[in-house]
Amino acid sequence: MNNTYDVIIIGGGATGAGIARDCSLRGVRALLLERSDISTGATGRNHGLLHSGARYAVTDHESAEECIRENMILRKIAAHCVEETDGLFISLPEDGLEYQSVFVNACRRAGIRADIIDPREALRLEPSANPALIGAVRVPDGAVDPFRLTSSNVLDARAHGAEIRTYTEVMELLREQDRIVGVRAYDHRNRCELKFYAQVVVNAGGIWGHGIAAKAGITVNMLPAKGALLIFGHRVNNLVLNRCRKPADADILVPGDTISLIGTTSSKVPYDQIDNMIITPDEVDLLLREGEKLAPSLATTRILRAYAGVRPLVASDDDPSGRTVSRGIVLLDHATRDGMEGFITITGGKLMTYRLMAEWATDLVCKKIGNPERCRTAEIPLPGSTEDRREVDRKLRNKPVAQRRSSISRHGDQAVKIDSRTSIQNSLVCECEEVSIGEVEYALENLAVNNLVDLRRRTRIGMGTCQGELCACRAAGLMGHRDPVCARKAKADLVSFLNERWKGMAPIAWGDTLRESEYMTWVYESVCGLSDEAKTASK
Amino acid sequence: MRFDTVIIGGGLAGMACGIRLAEAGQRCAIVSQGQSAIHFSSGSFDLLGRLPDGTPVTDPVAGIAALAESAPAHPYSVIGAERCARHAETAAELLRSAGIRVAGDSRRNHFRITPMGKAKRTWLTIDGYLTTDDADRLPFKTVCIVNVEGFLDFYPEFIAEEFRKRGVECRFGSFNHPDLEQIRRNPSEMRSANIARVFDRDADLEALAAELHRCSEGCDALILPALIGINRNDSLELLRARVGCPIHLLPTLPPSIPGIRAQQALQHRFRALGGEYFLGDSVLSAETRGSRVERIYTANHGNIPFEAAHFVLATGSFFSKGLLATPDRIVEPVFGADTEFVPSRSEWYTLRFFDRQAYQAFGVKTDPALRVIKEGKALDNLYCAGAGLAGFHPVQEECGAGVSLLSALHVAETILKIEN
Amino acid sequence: MNIQQNSVSENNFEQCIKCTICTVYCPVAAANPDYPGPKQAGPDGERLRLKRPDFFDSALKYCMNCKRCEVSCPSNVRIGDIIQAARIKYGPQHNTSLRNFVLANTDLVGTLATPFAPIVNTTVALKPVRFVMDKVMAIDHRRIFPKYAHGTFTSWYRKHAAAAQEAFPKQVAYFHGCYVNYNNPQLGKDLLRIMNALGYGVQLLDKEKCCGVALISNGLYKQARRQAETNLRSIRTSVKGRDLDLITTSSTCTFTLRDEYPHLLGLENGDVRDRIELATRYLYRLIRSGEAQLKFKDTTPLRVAYHTPCHMEKMGWGYYSIELLRMIPGVEVTVLDSQCCGIGGTYGFKKENYEVSQAIGAPLFRQIEESGADLVATDCETCKWQIEMSTSKPCEHPLHILASRLA
Repeated sequence: MNNTYDVIIIGGGATGAGIARDCSLRGVRALLLERSDISTGATGRNHGLLHSGARYAVTDHESAEECIRENMILRKIAAHCVEETDGLFISLPEDGLEYQSVFVNACRRAGIRADIIDPREALRLEPSANPALIGAVRVPDGAVDPFRLTSSNVLDARAHGAEIRTYTEVMELLREQDRIVGVRAYDHRNRCELKFYAQVVVNAGGIWGHGIAAKAGITVNMLPAKGALLIFGHRVNNLVLNRCRKPADADILVPGDTISLIGTTSSKVPYDQIDNMIITPDEVDLLLREGEKLAPSLATTRILRAYAGVRPLVASDDDPSGRTVSRGIVLLDHATRDGMEGFITITGGKLMTYRLMAEWATDLVCKKIGNPERCRTAEIPLPGSTEDRREVDRKLRNKPVAQRRSSISRHGDQAVKIDSRTSIQNSLVCECEEVSIGEVEYALENLAVNNLVDLRRRTRIGMGTCQGELCACRAAGLMGHRDPVCARKAKADLVSFLNERWKGMAPIAWGDTLRESEYMTWVYESVCGLSDEAKTASK
Repeated sequence: MRFDTVIIGGGLAGMACGIRLAEAGQRCAIVSQGQSAIHFSSGSFDLLGRLPDGTPVTDPVAGIAALAESAPAHPYSVIGAERCARHAETAAELLRSAGIRVAGDSRRNHFRITPMGKAKRTWLTIDGYLTTDDADRLPFKTVCIVNVEGFLDFYPEFIAEEFRKRGVECRFGSFNHPDLEQIRRNPSEMRSANIARVFDRDADLEALAAELHRCSEGCDALILPALIGINRNDSLELLRARVGCPIHLLPTLPPSIPGIRAQQALQHRFRALGGEYFLGDSVLSAETRGSRVERIYTANHGNIPFEAAHFVLATGSFFSKGLLATPDRIVEPVFGADTEFVPSRSEWYTLRFFDRQAYQAFGVKTDPALRVIKEGKALDNLYCAGAGLAGFHPVQEECGAGVSLLSALHVAETILKIEN
Repeated sequence: MNIQQNSVSENNFEQCIKCTICTVYCPVAAANPDYPGPKQAGPDGERLRLKRPDFFDSALKYCMNCKRCEVSCPSNVRIGDIIQAARIKYGPQHNTSLRNFVLANTDLVGTLATPFAPIVNTTVALKPVRFVMDKVMAIDHRRIFPKYAHGTFTSWYRKHAAAAQEAFPKQVAYFHGCYVNYNNPQLGKDLLRIMNALGYGVQLLDKEKCCGVALISNGLYKQARRQAETNLRSIRTSVKGRDLDLITTSSTCTFTLRDEYPHLLGLENGDVRDRIELATRYLYRLIRSGEAQLKFKDTTPLRVAYHTPCHMEKMGWGYYSIELLRMIPGVEVTVLDSQCCGIGGTYGFKKENYEVSQAIGAPLFRQIEESGADLVATDCETCKWQIEMSTSKPCEHPLHILASRLA
């Protein structure tokens, strides 16, 4: 096995995937190592907001400018991951209107279109908005699907020669004098250790980057900030709703695919807790209380689940107390900063600026290895976004409407690769989100799926109202059927999938969600007789 | 409308209570908000499979006696072990009298086999479904597990994996037919009930028999998902006669054919005994005088109330909205009965799906006669039966069906005693 | 926390927890694979349509609005309403096929046909005519058309009954519907006979239009709303202005006036809804409360099998018709399993639905043939046509049976 590369990227979030793509487009031989699946960290645990930058306009001009630039780029290169919804910044009586003019001016300075609209017009555009609103500004916010975005970057990186290894955890940075020359990693699937070598190692581990840097004896001072969010059962709003005031908790409601989500809270957590995010009843209450102010119907809308991400905030290098944080992109060349060659860290930033972060990191990699190619990721569309949606729709017109539209939403032009020649392939595995057997097969073959949770991130299986009650066992059955040797593994996988779904349901398990949970228990535990063998074994 | 007894809820508990009362000559009405959870049946009825601490139960009657000490709030303990034993016999008879052919012994659990091949303890199992007395042994050495092509709610590979652990050699068979292709044109309706309708046709059943015959070569038994006989009784006999090799059915994921059949059988029995069954209606309000319920008003019947000497609350648990959970309490919506629950929501569940979840034991407060308690006092003529009762874990203790049946019969007995 | 106390979502489709029970009881999904089924077409589809309206699937037109999904749903989801409302909101707004227009406009066609009833009845019964209707209008040639009466119920009422009705001390209002008016005035006369025997005079509404059920199912929503508004105006005049209860003889008209107006057409009727009821329910109340008594003459044994029409099942009122039949001396009632006969109003008339329609009804037809009954009773006119066309038994309205045996 060849184990030498130009660059090793640690971390399979949007940034890591973006670097892998950027590198591979420039002919840099890249290896990406991810300890779990792609987009499992902060990438998949945020609002999925395609920021216009308006939210930062007043407080952080630089971030605002970056956002609007990247916003326009993503609409082009990642059209199938983006919903061009636009957004409203609404002023409620308790907010007053003073902030509005400050806000609009700041937006305009940053190059963000910001139109003050009449409150009645705002309610016509977005009937779910709080009817008490006294002012509204329309901005080019939107929604972006982080799973699709990351997956498309991975797909393209692979197509251009990058190697992506998920479930491979970096255990050690291999060091020769003052230089990082590679990594020792553990392959969780095959349960073996591997070593990889490269001229440059990029730490793109998000909040986990703190620990990765520590493996080289380097301090990157991160301040984990937990942000909790709630997902509602259907699309409550079609425009992003923000509060027109200084950014605060739970003041963004984003429509994304079939759902809407409200977020976030913000609280500091100890670094040793970043793999153990539990949503507290207080957080749920706060999100609902504030959310209801944006859209009153949230008070009576079914909540599907709650989850939290950890923002990788970085303490500024020039402030030893660690209190001043940078929300912007942080690129650290450890050669100049710490005297450690062959190692760089890219962190901070946000999902919106993943491409720019990747560009900066790749520029630095290229400089180090002497590659003169320039970045082209702002121009070349991602796979899925190369063809117009309507054209793809036309090609697939013999598929049932809902299934066709859903698969195009998820895969863009790649949807034509979903085999739908037989009626069995058109049969639905997931009825809430219209995922067919053909789509599952496509994902299993092309999108590096190792288990049901991965499959969920690629296809939205189990992301609908029933949270996997009907489809999880069907999908497990299909995976078991493809590889009968692994039936045992598939069953264990089903149990961990149900645990993963339940973890998000438990914080909000009342009303219909509790009904659903009870039904799920009947189906899986009683009818199917499944049990948590890991739990039983540990007893 | 005036009846002797009005039962709210048409699931297993409501139906059993209604049938028992109607058998004794009462004029009964059942008001049911839609079809019931019987539609998710495994084809078996559990009495008691595990004690609250997880200890497996071999003899349910003995297990019930043991509950008196370890779980005094359990409905079985409230009813009393001796009565439970008696009601269990009556319940089995009641199911048989409705035409549900069940076999089993309340003194000795047997094992049913699930759609994923697991063996689960149970009390009564409907004829034709695979059972075994020893969880480690199956009644065959070589078996062919046959599925209908494209049917996603049954898992031959998972079953085989479990069977192989017991030393059974497993093969797979698959059945297809142009008439099934017809259903498959619809991407979501390749469901058990629709497939079963196809096999209700003679020609399709014969075609299945022919395929099963091919599959049976070299096997001592065939395993088939429960996809036959939704509206006819002779399907399995016919297949067995044609194939000449034992055929065992296994349940599927919902909708469950044995469940649908059981529901229909109970409904027919109730109606044949003169019972009135009001489906798709929900109770909106109740009028009480002192501690007696006088009448209930429903969505469909508006200004014509249901009046009766006795009322039975058999509305089930959360699924069927017999209990409603808000973020901070558990509500019984029809009568506003007192409910048993832990106030702090974070104690309602753990973060592991398969744990024993506290919420599953929440329910309506009752007195020893299963009369519903409201504002601290028992109502004279309102009883609770079934999943809405507090104090038990239907899934973890493998006792859901048993509690429904036994509590229903207990309530019926109480009512009949008062009337005589 | 006060929010989310109403723990059941206000968005009714979200109460669906994917238990699949509705799919077992949908008569269409069982017979027509082109129909997505109630779960997909209803709550699942609604969620997708809220994401983007272009998720609307034109196959929703195969739903015949029987509401059996709603009756079976343990979660109380208004599945049928969700589907019909989606057709109204997202479906084609101009559905003007000649066939649908003719089938939907029972009022207009009835008005045109009744003066020439003998000719019309003979003509549409002719094979070549049926062949032409099949080819040109896509109305299935195997379908037997209901006969038109020679002269309408309303003209008979005005000429021969109106004056006499005034004499009764107590009064009710009557919504006769198209069937009584154009096809079976006898049923209206039967009702008058029964009500008069109980001491009630029967008044018609000032202005009655077709309830609109066929317009709704054929996508003619604007016209349906206009007619509904007219009807509600007249109903308010009679019910609130004159303090009369309103009775009907058709289960589907009753259901439409009471429930489809607010749920599908967005027309509030809360002020009068409780006073609109089926005549059999009204009679049941009068008789059970002891306010009135019926005397019978004919007590010859008659075995009647009662068929519960879908909308009757949805209203839950079959009980009253059955109890009423049971009160008639000599009548032995058996209740057929409640299942759809397949006609679905105008649904089964359409060529593309004929096979499905008959397949849906087959189990019912079998049960009727095996019942040993002399005749079938039902409260729905289209069920009657379907049962008479598809079985060997005659089918009558319970009130017709009752009236014919009165002293």
